[in-house]
Amino acid sequence: MAQNLIKSGCDVTVWNRTKSKCDPLINLGANYQSSPKEVAANCDVTFAMVADPESAIDVACGKNGVASGMGPGKGYVDISTVDGATSKLINEHIKATGALFLEAPVSGSKKPAEDAQLIFLKAVAPLLDIMGKSRFYFGEVGNGAAMKLLVNMIRGSMMASFSEGILLSKKVGLDPNGLIEVLSQSAISAPMYSHKGPLMVKSLYPTEAPLKHQQKDIRLALALAESVSQSTPVAAAANELFKVAKSYGLGDADSSAVIEALKAKSFSRLDSA
Amino acid sequence: MEIGFLGLGIMGKAMSVNLLKNGFKVTVWNRTLSKCNELVALGASVGETPAEVVKKCKINIAMLSDPAAALSVVFDKDGVLEQICGKCYIDMSTVDPDTSCKISEAITSKGGHFLEAPVSGSKQPAETGQLVILAAGEKALYEEAIPAFNVLGKKSFFLGQVGNGAKMKLVVNVIMGSMMNAFSEGLVLADRSGLNPHDLLDVLDLGAIANPMFRGKGPAMLQDNYSPAFPLKHQQKDMRLALALGDENAVSMPVAAAANEAFKKARSMGLEDLDFSAVFETMKILKHKS
Repeated sequence: MAQNLIKSGCDVTVWNRTKSKCDPLINLGANYQSSPKEVAANCDVTFAMVADPESAIDVACGKNGVASGMGPGKGYVDISTVDGATSKLINEHIKATGALFLEAPVSGSKKPAEDAQLIFLKAVAPLLDIMGKSRFYFGEVGNGAAMKLLVNMIRGSMMASFSEGILLSKKVGLDPNGLIEVLSQSAISAPMYSHKGPLMVKSLYPTEAPLKHQQKDIRLALALAESVSQSTPVAAAANELFKVAKSYGLGDADSSAVIEALKAKSFSRLDSA
Repeated sequence: MEIGFLGLGIMGKAMSVNLLKNGFKVTVWNRTLSKCNELVALGASVGETPAEVVKKCKINIAMLSDPAAALSVVFDKDGVLEQICGKCYIDMSTVDPDTSCKISEAITSKGGHFLEAPVSGSKQPAETGQLVILAAGEKALYEEAIPAFNVLGKKSFFLGQVGNGAKMKLVVNVIMGSMMNAFSEGLVLADRSGLNPHDLLDVLDLGAIANPMFRGKGPAMLQDNYSPAFPLKHQQKDMRLALALGDENAVSMPVAAAANEAFKKARSMGLEDLDFSAVFETMKILKHKS
């Protein structure tokens, strides 16, 4: 996303917790500041794309966080996927400085990010239009976060049920690649199936969106469901599979690695590790 | 080519109309004979029993609602078996692999030829000839059926031995049932969280999980419109059969199991003849009655 902004001629200043990750961007012409506070202080609009609610709060409201460098005339756009409560908390801290806040979680992962095809949920218009193919405005803070969580909740359930289908087809003597082909002709043909399916059949999970983040999103969606007393048994069942996959050490693999959670594993006691 | 067609439900009616409109001679049968009248008006002949149809036609297609109906049409008095010697039987119903194998054995041991060919696609693809046909069994019969398959569907697959078509159909439909539940959970949660569910439809349609089912059924679901393209009772039957397959083969399927529970709940609420998307109703706030 930062690359896209630089390539389209924006004046970009970057920060990352691990500084070395900034080097490729600096080579493309980005400036560097040593803290979120310094970035905010030196820029008109600051975007944040971090992994989870804890990081989002830390970057925005922590020591040397964005809020310390904000003020009237500036804006903060948090593109991270977090829960509504986190988003509202950050909103309060930022608005207290006189600056403007926008939550703008995105739908799409690494490849769409490279292809500038992320879907955005509100416009800091020209900048968002550089990074995304489509944007929606959903009203008050919290709504963008919620919408993102729902999409990813459905996505996680679909990935889990697709995994069940692939394994069932294999076990009953069908060619799973044949299943993928049939699906692509059917009413439930989704790009995700034809894109990820062939790799899953070969037990390959190159990371486009980490499994641990997909699980985080389902977890947050389930919490949202709980907060309004809505039963979501299918998402809950899918969540258990993602938890199992995480316990196998697959958190950094692609979210499609959830299929491993369904596979028969040989029994071995924990204490023999 | 003259074709016998057994079963004029939602699918069978549309499919036989399609064959007639594309120049095939068709002889039809239905358990409730009056359902044949519409087809007769379009030029079909009628057989009073399955045996009568098979006696008349070399190639016969069946499109029945479930394993019980599929078996009954073959094995009962005046059933297909009585006249099957030298004839061909293509069962396009969705049944479990064991039922399909049982029918296949009976047909072939009486000198008939058998192909299972369940389809993916419901009412509208049946009407427009856009079904996906999942055939397995006698390859020679598959080749002979291709002109009819080309009218009925947009793509046909030959999947090998009898049972493979049934299995493929069940795997596809178990994923579909789970997806419909996931979709419904998302829509109802959108509404309960103060979002506009139509916005969720728009966002879904732009990303990696966009698919014709969400696009086609979402708006109708949000208007409480469950006019049946694929009755919920049949979808739940397919979930049950797929879970049984998983059970026989020790395949873990927790998401499908959870989805099946929702379909069962829908049946208990009297929604079984509505479209399977009516599972959405089970997730809305219900008045508790003791």
